[in-house]
Amino acid sequence: MARSRPEPVIVSASTSSSSSSSPEHFTCNDDGSNDFVMVPDDNVSLAALTEFRNMTVSPTDKLTVTHKQLSHQNIQHVSSTPPVYRLPPELLIAIFSKVSSVVDLRSCMLVSRQWANCSVELLWHRPSFDEFIKYQNMVKAVEDVNATYKYAQLIKRLNLTTIAGKISDGSMEPLVKCTKLERLTLTNCLHLTDLPLQKIFDNNPRIQALDLSQLHSITDNALLAVAKNCPRLQGLNIAGCKRVTDASLIPLSERCKSLRRLKLNECNFITNAAVASLAAHCSQLLEIDLYKCHNITDEAIGHLFTQLRQLRELRLAYCDLLTDDAFLQLPTRTYDFLRILDLTGCELLTDEAVNKIVTAAPRLRNLVLAKCRNITDKAVTHSVIKLGKNLHYLHLGHCQHLTDRAVQTLVRYCNRIRYIDLACCTHLTDQSVSHLAGLPKLRRIGLVKCQNITDYSIQTLLKGSKDMPCPLERVHLSYCTNLTVDGIHELITNCQRLTHLSLTGVDVFYRRKDFTQFCRPPPDEFNEHQREVFCVFSGSGVGKLRNYLNAQKAHSEGTPNLDQNYYVDDEDNQDMDEELEEVD
Amino acid sequence: MSEIKLLSSDQATITVQKEVAERSILIKNMLEDVGEVTEAIPIPNVNESVLKKVIEWCEHHKGDPPAQADDDSDSRKKSTDIDEWDQKFMQVDQEMLFEIILAANYLDIKPLLDVGCKTVANMIKGKSPDEIRKTFNIQNDFTPEEEEQIRRENEWAEE
Repeated sequence: MARSRPEPVIVSASTSSSSSSSPEHFTCNDDGSNDFVMVPDDNVSLAALTEFRNMTVSPTDKLTVTHKQLSHQNIQHVSSTPPVYRLPPELLIAIFSKVSSVVDLRSCMLVSRQWANCSVELLWHRPSFDEFIKYQNMVKAVEDVNATYKYAQLIKRLNLTTIAGKISDGSMEPLVKCTKLERLTLTNCLHLTDLPLQKIFDNNPRIQALDLSQLHSITDNALLAVAKNCPRLQGLNIAGCKRVTDASLIPLSERCKSLRRLKLNECNFITNAAVASLAAHCSQLLEIDLYKCHNITDEAIGHLFTQLRQLRELRLAYCDLLTDDAFLQLPTRTYDFLRILDLTGCELLTDEAVNKIVTAAPRLRNLVLAKCRNITDKAVTHSVIKLGKNLHYLHLGHCQHLTDRAVQTLVRYCNRIRYIDLACCTHLTDQSVSHLAGLPKLRRIGLVKCQNITDYSIQTLLKGSKDMPCPLERVHLSYCTNLTVDGIHELITNCQRLTHLSLTGVDVFYRRKDFTQFCRPPPDEFNEHQREVFCVFSGSGVGKLRNYLNAQKAHSEGTPNLDQNYYVDDEDNQDMDEELEEVD
Repeated sequence: MSEIKLLSSDQATITVQKEVAERSILIKNMLEDVGEVTEAIPIPNVNESVLKKVIEWCEHHKGDPPAQADDDSDSRKKSTDIDEWDQKFMQVDQEMLFEIILAANYLDIKPLLDVGCKTVANMIKGKSPDEIRKTFNIQNDFTPEEEEQIRRENEWAEE
């Protein structure tokens, strides 16, 4: 984040070199402050940040003096002074800002007083730790009233995710000394409760991005403190904070009017009232995720679309009360900014809703209709195809009514698709795959449990790319039980870009210990059966499998068919959903 | 192609293509403000040898596309990669190196300032505080106690 970084001060009065920040990220400069030294109130005034402890008798007193002298005398240098002394502090800082490692920055701090003064802010701007003990060391410096610098005032960003398991209310408490925090990321700090957070929010009015995801214990109290004290908030992630209710979100929406990104995943208590208030007050909202907010109904969608015309990303997965009316009632205007719409598991939706959505948001790039089980070919052949070249990402998994005809039409109109998932579309045959093979940019294809698929599909996929290298990177073929070792061998030989190949439940693979040695390990939460059928090659595993198959083939050309006969039993496999694999 | 004249701090007049000189935002804005100029534009902070060096850089980079808006997105991730020509260009003594940085800052030539800063950053990379002092001929003006205290307070940043 460039904002709080010192920018070199240009001596010319007429320059207008301040760069504007991109709204793409949680940027932290809504007050427009950019220049270093010039803005007395802001965080980067060198004089303010180098407040040395006041040591009236100690020799350290010279520290600030030295520094001031240097900054003023840089032009009329004495020839005996080494040239580096000619650099004014702002240019030293510009140099230090190119020093990428904290270890090197720390070395800079230990060079001289001037270098310490000019590097301390950069080093403390965003402390990071791979071990809890380092965090404890930092906290010691923060707490020490006799410290060389007021370190707590220098910390702008803090991410404790890497040591989340060790963070407790007690170890968090000293951070109440920080008052200049702009971003705070506490993902998975599960032990945290409201108390230290409330105090931290009370002292940090500049917070712009806050990630409290998976802090199960926090309640409305923590968020009320945010509402009260953090008017600059732009990004808030409280995914999994299941205790949070409208009681804090409504005041928060009224106070934090700069909100742009909001994740409320699994905040079950949230109702339409909170969504309505957000829509009414936070007109800059760009992204909202309401994953599994089961109380949300059609009315909430109306509020969002009526008030927020620049919405870019809307995720409504498993908002399972939603009906077609949520979309059919929308005004007739278009939402040209909407790029991503996720309706996974909104099972009541039908082709009618899809048609309205595509008309209202013609520039959708990502459309997720997975598990919208009522969807038929018509949704694709009459509606989705209108997105044309805009569509890059389409998930139609579990839309079990779909047939080859839908895929054929889709490919004809939407030839920029890079990612497609058709898992469990059980009617699909090799024909669909032969159409998909015509997508020149297709990088990821999901065909889990499309059990009609045979080796023929693989051959067409490879033919599709003709002389070009096969663009496929991720291929999901779990439970495509007709596939053979030869078929997969052909795929893996011809797709050199492949980094992921899932063949879970494909017995000619998962039963072969010599193949599965190249698999990645199954997820911890898998039960015994799931572990047995698990068969996913990723990263270097793909290359190893490729080499192995090549070697084996070379070998078997002399000694054919030793152990190709395997007992096939997949009746149990049916209950294992493709979600049990990691989907990207 | 129109030309303009620049007057260095040591009173040397240098003729340069307007397009080249306008890599300097300071000069560009000045030209926009005053319109046509015939006499030499004084550049009081930069002497002839440095100014020539800076013009050499501007000459080579005159066709560069304008800097990306997200150029300074995240400094910690910023690579200190410098393109080959610039690396050679920066193979100068420290006297000249820091003068180029000062001139680039004064003349407001952000990409040149960046290259200069990256060059110095690369000279810092991987060195101990003492090695850095030796490299740049910097005097250690900490008392031993101060140095030890700063070392302790910043221990968390150690490898």
